[in-house]
Amino acid sequence: MSVNSEILSVVSKFIIPFIQVFGIYVIVNGHISPGGGFAGGTIIGASFILYRIVNGSDKAKDKFSYNTLIKAMCFSLIGYGLLKGYSFIGGGLNLHLPSFPIGTPGRIFSGGYLLPLNIFIGCIVAITMYFLYSLFSEGEI
Amino acid sequence: MENLMNNYIEAGSIVLFGIGFMTLLLNNNMIKKIIGLNIMDTAIFLFFIARGFIYGKDAPIVVGEFKGVDGYINPVPTSLMLTGIVVSVSMTAFMLALTIKLHEKYKTIDLREILNMKEG
Amino acid sequence: MRKFITVILTSLLIGIILIGVSDLPEFGKSDVPAHNYVSKTYLEDAVKETGALNIITGIILDYRAFDTFVEATVLFTGAIVVLLLLRREGDECE
Repeated sequence: MSVNSEILSVVSKFIIPFIQVFGIYVIVNGHISPGGGFAGGTIIGASFILYRIVNGSDKAKDKFSYNTLIKAMCFSLIGYGLLKGYSFIGGGLNLHLPSFPIGTPGRIFSGGYLLPLNIFIGCIVAITMYFLYSLFSEGEI
Repeated sequence: MENLMNNYIEAGSIVLFGIGFMTLLLNNNMIKKIIGLNIMDTAIFLFFIARGFIYGKDAPIVVGEFKGVDGYINPVPTSLMLTGIVVSVSMTAFMLALTIKLHEKYKTIDLREILNMKEG
Repeated sequence: MRKFITVILTSLLIGIILIGVSDLPEFGKSDVPAHNYVSKTYLEDAVKETGALNIITGIILDYRAFDTFVEATVLFTGAIVVLLLLRREGDECE
């Protein structure tokens, strides 16, 4: 179902990139300020849902196809497991394997594995929100 | 009895749990039962997170310099309840999907009528 | 009749739980058995060992990363289950 309104169409073209940039800011600064993977993922998922409501389901199926989204979600989940499994087993057996450095607290590229894990979690949450909306509303993705 | 007036947040969360429980038992509509289960979940989160607060201390985010061990509240209950909130969302989505399939087969969402139709 | 039994049962349950809640320690005090050495160790070593300024992110993504992994699996399973239930037949299987 699509909404035929001129105001919504023009305003959403202008404001959806700002919502996504704010969501990416909340995810990437997850280890410095309040926020993190779950809150930022929900914000990006809300922007996907807004795009689907305003432009109808045909254009949304061209941009977010089913194969792309399910491959992204599976890759994120397996990537999280491999990264954290490497870190746990390497630390538990006292092997001193090479890893990301800790750095100085307060910069973005610091803290070892915190930044990639936040990005993976944000990806999973955003795609789940979009799936739940489109399945309940129309029955197909 | 006046200890309940001092811990008014915990007492309020148990009363909210009771309200959600009565919503689950007294209604016949499936959607209202799902709302009752969601209210019970939220009451338990409020009860746990309220156990970590200490008067006069800050939130556990280091802003200027580190204030030492006695400057922040207890971070353990908050981080444990983060998982519970996500599980609650997933459960609600699953229950609503099952309700849609029930409506497709029996054409109603009243639980008494569905049980009568099943026996007959 | 059914409503009467429901009200009695619920008030009995809530009354028993409230008797237990009235024995809890006061809200907001700091010398309580709940704030023991576990939270103090987490607060002391979190900035030095993980490098995160947000201590809660340091806890859920470094010390307890397995819980977050299982939670991400539960989210993924929920999305797959709703996909299985609500999909319509047709030419979707391409």
